[in-house]
Amino acid sequence: MGPLVRSLIRNRKAVVGLIIIALIVLIALAAPLLTEYNPASRVGRPHQPPSADHWLGTTRIGQDVFSRLIHGARTSLAVGFGAGLLITVLGTALGIIAGYRGGKTDEVISFFTNMVLVVPNLPLLLVLAAFIGQASPLVIAIILGFTSWAWGARVTRAETLSVKHKDFIKSAEMMGEPRWRIMTFEIFPNLISIVGINFIGSVIFAIITEATLEFLGLGDPKTVSWGMMLYNAQKASALSVGAWWDILTPCFALAILGIGLSLLNFAVDEIANPRLRTGNRLSRWTALIRSGEGRL
Amino acid sequence: MVFLLRRLGFYLAAFIAAATINFFLPRLMPGDPIEIMFSSAGAELSIENLAALKLTFGFVDGPLWQQYLTYLQSIFTGDLGRSIKYFPLPVTSVLGHALIWTVGLMGTATIVSFTLGTFLGILAAWRRGSIFDVVVSVGAIFATSVPAVVTSLIVLFFFGFTLGWFPTGYAADPALDPSFSLTYIGSLLYHGILPMLTLCTVLTGGFAVTMRNNMINLLGEDYIVMARAKGLSDSRVMLWYAARNALLPTVSSLAIAIGTVLGGSLVTEVVYNYPGLGNILYQAILARDYPVIQGQLLIMTVAMLVANFIVDVSYVLLDPRLRGA
Repeated sequence: MGPLVRSLIRNRKAVVGLIIIALIVLIALAAPLLTEYNPASRVGRPHQPPSADHWLGTTRIGQDVFSRLIHGARTSLAVGFGAGLLITVLGTALGIIAGYRGGKTDEVISFFTNMVLVVPNLPLLLVLAAFIGQASPLVIAIILGFTSWAWGARVTRAETLSVKHKDFIKSAEMMGEPRWRIMTFEIFPNLISIVGINFIGSVIFAIITEATLEFLGLGDPKTVSWGMMLYNAQKASALSVGAWWDILTPCFALAILGIGLSLLNFAVDEIANPRLRTGNRLSRWTALIRSGEGRL
Repeated sequence: MVFLLRRLGFYLAAFIAAATINFFLPRLMPGDPIEIMFSSAGAELSIENLAALKLTFGFVDGPLWQQYLTYLQSIFTGDLGRSIKYFPLPVTSVLGHALIWTVGLMGTATIVSFTLGTFLGILAAWRRGSIFDVVVSVGAIFATSVPAVVTSLIVLFFFGFTLGWFPTGYAADPALDPSFSLTYIGSLLYHGILPMLTLCTVLTGGFAVTMRNNMINLLGEDYIVMARAKGLSDSRVMLWYAARNALLPTVSSLAIAIGTVLGGSLVTEVVYNYPGLGNILYQAILARDYPVIQGQLLIMTVAMLVANFIVDVSYVLLDPRLRGA
């Protein structure tokens, strides 16, 4: 990990991205200390513009926008990192198993991976969420995790295939190391950059998708999150009545978090591929456009 | 040929998988599936209509496998059932009408941003490390990492509400009747500007990044050095030697982008109240119009599969090695 951390600190994109993410995480953690207002309750008159009392104004039903923003950051981050972790674990495990075991195992896993990749992700999520009805952030994270692992599995499998025939794997096999040990301790550490890119990309995807599903009215109305802020503001016609603070606040929050994460993602990609072979190594972005997931 | 046939078989399996999800979802949910799907229709459906609707979704007497076959049969005969919200319109005609709008809007946006993104990518790679490259690369990162819903709302706020330059909703002035008159087409274009602007902002970055990276990989190749050594002009090397080859992988991502056109503009259509597929889907979600929601999944799956198949065919045409296999 030493060299990776050192090159991350030397990369300007990575530093800016890390600072942005760290700030948002800190603010989210310290949310109860930073505001005295309960994010869910009515604390002022409806649609008040920003003032000394309410730094970012109030919503249609008189909730404090600043309090909702910093409490909502907790939900967005939790869903993003939770679902991102689930997506990465599933994708990495399936990819390494398929790539290393080969044969029938590979055929079955690859078949399912390719199948999940061609069924469009967003409509599938919408259908699932619509039937579940008022999906809580936890439910959204779980369905994201179980529907979005395929890209990671495909890329990890391809990388595993290229590592599999190296000498150190052969020697581990000769020494009679068990297969699970070869996969976890010999192959996995060599895939760390692709796993990192997959993880950060999945976090961005999960945050965007959670916000989108909630904006479309598929979330649980009791949730305090950026997506529900957008949904409520849109439902209250915040833009046409001139309450810009109500709708632009979650907008900018999502934009800044997205930019921070993708700066970090690009940096990891650059460090992992000095010649910047993102075209073939699939930076999350090209892949997102190919599979259509990101264009929500 | 064998390669293409195998791909076709795979796509058929993928389509059946999507249909299977549609079939089992209502049955996996707690409670009565018929209740879940048709409760909101309630009083509006007559007994006979409800019976016909149930038949389409395979809610017939008999074991599960029989219900499943009934469902598959109705899917493959192109019967997606009837919409609950727009009863008694069939789902296919509700979606068919909206399809035209989405294809018009997203099709244009995809072509514009593909062209623009490709050129930006070529130039950025050619002048790698210059100010221009930095602006394009960083701009692309920003544009692609901001969620489409945020871009839509911000564009709408500044150009639609604050500046008031453009209309804030609908595909054309609702007071006008659709016709091929100049006024109507003018209104159509005027209303289309903001959604187009949003979609192009969202899409261009991705194409630019792909093209830039493909180009950078190719610029190190021997035949590029050779072309330069022959004394060819810069623009000729850039466009006819490097860009031409870098374009091949990008074209396949264009085909997939076209496949996702149907689902892609969902949020933009909702924000601008544009009468396309995305908005229909949104309205269907609000009304819990399950037949329409499920029909959308199938139609978008078909679009993705067709786009993938086109990519396969183009690979066979472009890569002679695949023809024999």
